[in-house]
Parts: sequence; C-alpha cells; structure tokens
Amino acid sequence: MSKDVSRRKALGRMATAAGMGGAALYLVKKAQGQIVWQIDSAKCLNSRLGEVGVKACDLCLKECVVTRSAVRAVNHCSGCGRCNICPAYFNVTSAVNREGLPSEKLCPRDAIARKPIGAIDPGDPANNFYEYIIDETKCDGCGKCAMACKEPAGLGSIVLKVRHDLCVNCNKCAISTSCPKDAFFQGPIPRAVLEQQEQSPA
Amino acid sequence: MRWSLVLVLLWLVAALPHAIEAQSIPYERPRDRAPQQKDIGGGYVTPPVQKPLPRAAWLEILDTALLAGAMGLSVWLVVRRRSRRGVAALAVASVAYFGFYREGCICPIGSIQNVAVALVDAHARIPILVIATFFLPLLVAVFYGRAFCGGVCALGALQELVVLRPVQVPRRLDRALGWLKYVYLLAAIWWAVQPLAKRDFIICRFDPFVGFFRRTGFAHMFAIGGALLVIGMFVGRPYCRYLCPYGGLLSWCARLANRGVTITPDKELDCGLCAGACPYGAIDQMRAVRKNCLYCARCYAACPREGPLAQGKLIQVEAAE
Repeated sequence: MSKDVSRRKALGRMATAAGMGGAALYLVKKAQGQIVWQIDSAKCLNSRLGEVGVKACDLCLKECVVTRSAVRAVNHCSGCGRCNICPAYFNVTSAVNREGLPSEKLCPRDAIARKPIGAIDPGDPANNFYEYIIDETKCDGCGKCAMACKEPAGLGSIVLKVRHDLCVNCNKCAISTSCPKDAFFQGPIPRAVLEQQEQSPA
Repeated sequence: MRWSLVLVLLWLVAALPHAIEAQSIPYERPRDRAPQQKDIGGGYVTPPVQKPLPRAAWLEILDTALLAGAMGLSVWLVVRRRSRRGVAALAVASVAYFGFYREGCICPIGSIQNVAVALVDAHARIPILVIATFFLPLLVAVFYGRAFCGGVCALGALQELVVLRPVQVPRRLDRALGWLKYVYLLAAIWWAVQPLAKRDFIICRFDPFVGFFRRTGFAHMFAIGGALLVIGMFVGRPYCRYLCPYGGLLSWCARLANRGVTITPDKELDCGLCAGACPYGAIDQMRAVRKNCLYCARCYAACPREGPLAQGKLIQVEAAE
C-alpha cells in the first residue's frame, strides 16, 4: 500500500469517526430512557365514554405479533364499584341461577376472580362488596370485560394495558396501525408509573 | 300540507339548541362513588395495580456491554487467534442470546430507521441503547472491518451456521447483486423519514429471521427467512452480502479499516487455498477485501500455515539419496 493511500485512509477514518461522534452526540442530547407502546384509555374503543352497546374491539388480541398478545385487561381496584353482579364478570344476559346470579361468566378464559371482601352487613349478609382481580396469565386482552365495565352499570375501572414486559416494542406496532381510535401511542413511561412501581414492589 | 312541513321544520330549528345543549353536558364517570377501603371495612386493603415495566435500565447497559464485548471477542478470535472454531462458538452464543433470548432486538440493522427518524424529526427521540447499537459496530468497522458481521449479528450468525456447501458466485454477478443493499438502504431511509402517518419501517417489516427468533410473526417473514436459509446453504450468507442495508454502511466504514483480516505472503502462503475456502467471495487476488470480509475465519482455517504447519504435524519427507 502506498503512503498516499494510507494517509488518505487515516484521514477518512478520522473524518468518519468525527462525523459519527457528532451525530451520536446530537442524538444522545435529545435521547430518552425507555420508549414503550402504550394505550390511551380515554381513546380506546373498549374503555372510552359513550361507546355503549357496541361489540368489544379485540384487535389488540388479533393483531399483536406476540403469541396471546402483549395487551392485558387490568382492574384498577380503587376505582372499581365492587358490585355484587359485575357486568364484566357475569354475562348479565344469561339465565339467573338459584342464588339469583347470572349463570354464565363473560370472560371466555375465566380470567377474572371474584371474592367477597370487607365487613359483612348484619342486616343483609348478601349485601357485600366484591373484589375482582384479573389473572394476567389467563387474560389475552380480548377487551370484553373492559367494554362491559361501563356506564350505566360499571365505573370503567377495567381498561386494557400494554404489558411492557411482554411487548417486544416493534418499530411498527401492528396494533397501532389497525387501532380504529388511534389509542396506541409510543412514548416514555410516565414518571408516576415508575414511582408507584418502586413504592409497591409486589 | 306545505304549511305542516314548514311547521315541522320550524319546530326542528327551534329544538336544535336544546339538542346541542343536551350533547354538551359534560359526563364524568362517577369514580368518586367507588367504595374505598374505609367504606368496605373489615380491614380490607386495596391491592396495588400491577404495572409490569420493560427491562430494567441496567439490563440495557448490560446489552450494550455484551454487544461491545462480543465485537471485541470477534476481533480477537479472528485477527489474533485466527480461530474458526472460536468464531463458530461465538456465532452460536450470539444466536442464542441476541437472537432467541433477546428476540432479535438488539438490531443495528433496524436501528438505521430509528436513527434516521431521530435525525430528521425534531420530536422523535430514541433510547441511548439504540444510539449505541447503531454506532458501535460502525466505529469498530472503521478500524477493524466488519467484526460485527462475523459472530455477533444474530441474523448473520444464523446464516453463518447453515453454510453447508457454498458455491463461488461469479464475481460480476456478486458485484451486481451487492448493489441491492444500497438500494434497500436508501429505500429504508426514505420510508422512515416520511411524516408520521406515512412512516414505514420496511427493514423490520421484511426482517427475514426475527420471526424464527420470536417463534411468531407474519407468514411472509417466515417465507423470506426460510428461502434465505435454504439459499444460504449453497450461497454463503445471501442476506448479509446482497440485502443487508446495515452491511452497506459497514462496508463503507470497513474500506477505511487498517487492522482487519489480512492475508499476507509472509504470514500465510500465496497458495490461494483461502480464496477457495471463502464462501463470501471476499478474497481477491489472494488478498482479503475488507468491505466484503464477514469475519468468519474460514480462510485461516484453510491455510496450511495455520493448520498442520503451525502445529508441527507436517511429515518430514526424507530426501532420496
């Protein structure tokens, strides 16, 4: 190799390294920690106000590239009405059984657990509060319960959420491209979520 | 008849403001009506909402370190140790970790698009891991050549492992097909820098092997990937040589490298066995071409000086008297 060529190459190396360094610095300056796909519950067809009497949207389940979807239904218990006859737990159109409850459940995978909680009313033992917990290992994000937990019966405490540990963060999320309400967006995790996670390690 | 129509219309117009008023009443969900701990009593504690987070930040740093470490190992194994077996082991490890465990993400190939978006779009931000993933292999290539391609890139390593009976692609055809990757690179950048509504990530959409790594994906991904693996048994690493857009960037950088794979007449022999052993057509006139060399060390494995001669196993032939 002649001296001229090797000198030109050395110059090229330096110029390339400098250029890449500059571009990297610019990107690092405006970089953000972790950017993840999220669902805007106020936009999601299953949880947004006014969408009553429509079929639940199951595109989160159908479109996601992850087996059994990276989307799960979550019940925010602090906003839950803890109803005796929960429209998301029971199929309220099914026949009433001997105990006066609907005989069928709504969830096709039986992922919701129901248990009575709190103090028992001595006047009417049946008048109790109930806790509804969704088993995330069974749930597949079909959205039926979120759609059912709505006005007038529900308080909208069940919403669909992206499980960030299952989501593979595709550049072009298949759900986001097919979501009819543009409820999928990509952004940094809200600080509140991070802090809450730290406070409750469970 | 006509009068009645007008009356109905008038009534409609008069009723319209009321209708609008009815629509505009703000409806709030009665969240405050939800019974809280004190209403429920009996020592009940509201369970916290499960919020699974993505991988912890330190794991991302670990991934970056592993990427850098694997490239360092690749350079050391190929340039220093000249160990074909070592590179093959590294390839297996990379397919296992970067491929099947990390499901094809840490992917510098796809990061081209993210970097392009972040450079063009003022609002787009990308994580530091992606920035490191994009620039580290290029930086290594500027000095040592395409060390990333050898046993680090999961897509490359997977193809590396299926090379069964490679044929030499005619040089002119090889060069012509090599232009495809630049076309792909330009197309990928073009689609990525479109405004948000039209933006598309074609490298990810047509990623050949991520479907295998994730054990799920679109049918066309499996079709492309399967076809490339079958072709790859006879034509060494077709995706890397002819299609990989990141390979285009790497070969630009590798042209400048001064410490990569070298085949010299004094350390090796000028016998040409290496050129026959190279499945990627990266040896031209018995010299390694850095922009095409994929760091597989097959040339060294085929070199008589590295094998029997180095191990002192050559049989001494006694001269006849």
